[in-house]
Amino acid sequence: MRDSAFSPAHPALAAQRVRVPVNAPATLFVVVDTEEEFDWSAPFSRQSTSVTAMRHIGRAQRLFDRFSIVPTYVVDYPVASQPEGVVPLAEFAAVIGNLRAARFARDGAWRTTAAFGALDELRHTHIPLALMHELVRWDRQFDWTHRFYHSNNWVAIAARHCFDELLLTADPIEFAIGTNFVFETGFTNLQFVALSALARDAGDPMFETMVKSIQTDEARHAQIGRAVLEILVKSDREYAQRLVDKWFWRTWHLFSVLTGFSMDYLTPLSARRASFKEFIEEWILSQFLEVIDAYGLARPWYWDTFTTSLDHYHHMVYASAYTYRTTVWFDFVVPGPQERAWLAQKYPASWPALAPVWERIDAGWRESDPDLDFAAHGSAIVTFCDMCQFVLSEGTPARNSAQTLVRGDRKYIFCSEPCRWIFESEPERYAGHRDVVKRVLAGEAPGNLAAILTQYFGLTQETWGRDVQRGNYDWLVRPAKPRPILPGAAEAPDERRP
Amino acid sequence: MSVLVPLYGFLEGDTIGLIVLAHDDDPIARVIARLQHSARWRVAGFENARAFHAGRELDPEQTVAEAGLSALERIDVRSAGDPADAS
Repeated sequence: MRDSAFSPAHPALAAQRVRVPVNAPATLFVVVDTEEEFDWSAPFSRQSTSVTAMRHIGRAQRLFDRFSIVPTYVVDYPVASQPEGVVPLAEFAAVIGNLRAARFARDGAWRTTAAFGALDELRHTHIPLALMHELVRWDRQFDWTHRFYHSNNWVAIAARHCFDELLLTADPIEFAIGTNFVFETGFTNLQFVALSALARDAGDPMFETMVKSIQTDEARHAQIGRAVLEILVKSDREYAQRLVDKWFWRTWHLFSVLTGFSMDYLTPLSARRASFKEFIEEWILSQFLEVIDAYGLARPWYWDTFTTSLDHYHHMVYASAYTYRTTVWFDFVVPGPQERAWLAQKYPASWPALAPVWERIDAGWRESDPDLDFAAHGSAIVTFCDMCQFVLSEGTPARNSAQTLVRGDRKYIFCSEPCRWIFESEPERYAGHRDVVKRVLAGEAPGNLAAILTQYFGLTQETWGRDVQRGNYDWLVRPAKPRPILPGAAEAPDERRP
Repeated sequence: MSVLVPLYGFLEGDTIGLIVLAHDDDPIARVIARLQHSARWRVAGFENARAFHAGRELDPEQTVAEAGLSALERIDVRSAGDPADAS
């Protein structure tokens, strides 16, 4: 504990006396004590972890900014804890991919840079594992930083399906195009710049430093991708185009869920600088399209499908996952009226069809008592794509874009045309894999919700996802319920009787 | 003895597809009701729900077997007829 970065004994956190000269002018020190909301007069409750008031801290900060006041925020655990660092073991798989390139790549500069890349990815594995491990003592959900990738949780199955192919089984050329060019140049490099800036604004120096450090590595890895793509285009343009099209779609789904949830739902409204869509359009698409155009490649053939997905996919997955939140290891929030107004403004093409879903979820909570994990929660088996392994939530609420395919004696279903195209391009690579539904029907996984959560996904009541407010939203007014008449209690007097 | 026929069900207005655990002797009307019930946390029930499979509307009084549905086929449930479904 003494060596822990979170220990009060740590030198960085040790109290230091501030000496002020006797004749110094009056100085205003502003210390903002932030903590969870609870009733001072009530007994201590571990359930009092709500921090909704923090959503409005930006208003106070803007006031401080106006008067050039630099406040010191004092935070406790419920305020500081955020879902982060959930896929470090995928970074470890990237060590393998880089080592394969370090051994088999066809150029010395490529091999050397990939060797450094392997060392980088090892670091990216260990930093979040070490940082999140400190938090396990307060919340067992943080244990999933390590557990997640080894579990049969549906999100882990989807992550492994993508990353195992890309990082463990692809040859160095496909690894360089899929990882170094598409994922690291297209998505994560610039994302980490933005995430680091957001973390700084939100007062989270640990996350800011972690992501900034990782970003410098991503920038180096990205340099491999362009050089390999340039040569590949000269020798086999069609193959280069196919790899770009394939990995842009495959990594898009993962990126959309990981980042879209964070930017449009889990970041407090006061701290949001842009919507996920705005971020993608400004930081990802413009530069990615410029680069592929510079190499003489076309934008992926499914671009219209992608633009629909940009407006809908992460919203549809989030709403669906909210109503199956106990199937994952992190918590969810229902967007309140101000958040919905913001989402309606940012997503005019999709929000009108999504708003009724949240109104229905509101109704479910109104009809339920708060604090119930399974209130406004589904129990039917959900469906999964036989390619990306994520839930069938592509298209729009009016028209789900799922596609079916019969191959031999097996039936497959895909969330979208691009996922079906990827499967049909190399069916022998994917045909034997079974999604969660097929595992249930084959008797490999239990069919009822409680059993699959605990026996197959590896979750417990302590770790499964919840509504962060337990359904206690100040804007959610529940109708008054009639007081029950207990057996043997005297009937209430009727004042109308004489 | 009836046979289990799990179907991929997509309800208009919903954000996800669901497995409907139907039986071959279930009428289509019951399959429609079951999908609407399973999706009730996200989609309010609506009247005149109709089921579609492979571009054709299914007779609500026919059974799953009579409608020619087999395991892991896609059905769409909508409030208005739209035969251009994506299966």
